[in-house]
Amino acid sequence: MPPEPALRARGLVKRFPAPAGPSIEILRGVDLEVGPGDMVVIEGPSGSGKSTLLNVLGLLEEPEAGEIWFGDRAVSRLSRSARSRERGRWLGFVFQAFLLLPSLTAIENVLLAARYVGRAGGDVRRRAELLLERLGVAHRRDHYPAQLSGGEQQRVAFCRAILNDPPLLLADEPTGNLDDDNGAVILAGLRDRARAGGAVVVVSHRAEAAHDATAVFTLAGGALTRRQSVKEATR
Amino acid sequence: MVARGLLHALRGYAFTVAGIAIGVAGVVALGAMAERIVAFIDGGDRFVLGQISVAGRGMGMGAGFTAGGLLPAAKVEAIRKVDGVAGVQPQVMLPLNPSTSQFMTLTQEIVLGFDLSVPMPNRFYATLPVRDGRFLREGDRKRTVVGASFAASHGLHRGATLVLEGQRYEVVGVLERMMTAPDRFVIVSIADAREQWVAKDPMLRTLLASGAAALRADDLNTGVAVGWRAGEDPDVLAHRIREQVPGVNVQIPSELSALLRSSTAFFSALLVGIGALAFVIGGLSLANTVAAAVFERIRDFGVKRALGATDWQLSGEVLAEALAVTVSGGALGVGFAIALGSSIDRWAQRSGQELFLFSPRLLAGAIVFSLALGTAAAAYAALRIVRLSPAEAIRRGNAA
Repeated sequence: MPPEPALRARGLVKRFPAPAGPSIEILRGVDLEVGPGDMVVIEGPSGSGKSTLLNVLGLLEEPEAGEIWFGDRAVSRLSRSARSRERGRWLGFVFQAFLLLPSLTAIENVLLAARYVGRAGGDVRRRAELLLERLGVAHRRDHYPAQLSGGEQQRVAFCRAILNDPPLLLADEPTGNLDDDNGAVILAGLRDRARAGGAVVVVSHRAEAAHDATAVFTLAGGALTRRQSVKEATR
Repeated sequence: MVARGLLHALRGYAFTVAGIAIGVAGVVALGAMAERIVAFIDGGDRFVLGQISVAGRGMGMGAGFTAGGLLPAAKVEAIRKVDGVAGVQPQVMLPLNPSTSQFMTLTQEIVLGFDLSVPMPNRFYATLPVRDGRFLREGDRKRTVVGASFAASHGLHRGATLVLEGQRYEVVGVLERMMTAPDRFVIVSIADAREQWVAKDPMLRTLLASGAAALRADDLNTGVAVGWRAGEDPDVLAHRIREQVPGVNVQIPSELSALLRSSTAFFSALLVGIGALAFVIGGLSLANTVAAAVFERIRDFGVKRALGATDWQLSGEVLAEALAVTVSGGALGVGFAIALGSSIDRWAQRSGQELFLFSPRLLAGAIVFSLALGTAAAAYAALRIVRLSPAEAIRRGNAA
């Protein structure tokens, strides 16, 4: 029996109100399935709704229609707090703008992910330190975001995203604000997550991201179209 | 590390804390001025309700509070015999400076001569509290006890010398600050006060020298303070004195209290107005500052939601942060107001004034007021934030 998909989405519809006239439909019945070990890359022109799709998949935004499952649980119609709990234990986010809290140090930012799922103590701290070390920013653990370069901030944000070892990682243009070297580190981290059995969804413009993908989709006109990935082409 | 983190966090809220502090300081400073006036009015009220004041009938401007003329010994004796009277203390009350301009002010400095052979009959001021030194005793001559404001404005202390009508008086005591009329009193024995009266009043001097009036020293009283027996209604007794002792001015305690209240009604209304204005302006400023500080961090709260913070967790954090900021700002504001008020008071005391009274109820009220408004503002902001989707919160935070 194949493993349960980490993420299933059926018929997702998302509209935004327009300043005048009818609302704009960004997603028109999007379906997606991401299993353990998958690294799915979503491409598309600017403004096509890639980030919106990722927000909807990550329960950061509610769809007008459609359903989302994390494993075997339907999660898109849960209460606000229940959705928060699902995010905390099932998801990790990597944002283009890093979104570290400026008042917390690097290690505190990483540990923030554990706070809301009720994890604390020496083990969590040790794992956070280990992750910072793996990503090459252990020496920056007590620095505040403003004291870090963009690449360092994104590495810290990546550590935060995987601290709880979530089954599903969502990354929105994770290398968009990084130079090539730092971008490569983050992409390698995402690839490693998938290889370790995690499910990864990446919105990215970078060709390197698509190169490692198990599936590549293009979002245009509110619909996802699957195209052949490099892996599929070279299989 | 912890200290560094705390400092970093505080620096992030420095402007918010400063904004709250300024608002709270304004409310507290205005409140302290209001408290000062309330204490003055209440002190006077307490004094007039504690005794029946009887003065000789007349228009003696020098008679100060009792506002009468001469009250000779025979009248004092007659008052003493009225049924219900527990004690009568002859007094001489004179303005220190009998010029009209001084007399017309609310802050006049008064020489008060007590007959120290009888106890003070005032129910609420059986003794006047002495901060430094001692009160006068029977037999003291050329000795004085001065009020706190008078001492401050004239640079007096225990052991200092005060010259009154050319005579040197030893300051044997300084009263505690009472926030009312005695703060500007110069208290002497009645014999000394009588000497000063004669020295101040040319008409009285001429009259005594002419021998036209058969006056003895103990006839020179401006009034008496009358105490009543237990169970006696002071108003009823005052009316009884008025009926049984003709030719005297009897102040009915409740009427005098009402008169004082009505004469200070303007100040009371002013206080209510100032207080209401301070609360509205300070409250709006505080609530706005707290809410703005929370909304300023909307992106951070969006990130926390993304990381799994539930409504309760997020609301708790918003409230805790807002309360910490409010308490810090409130405490800083109270401290700032006290420092400012104390500085101004040190300057004002040189002219015998004290403008601020930082009463415990005012300070507690200011903190409770800050906390209540801070909580309300934070609760409002938290409610708004938790209703936003995390994506929207992050978007708005990025746009700000």
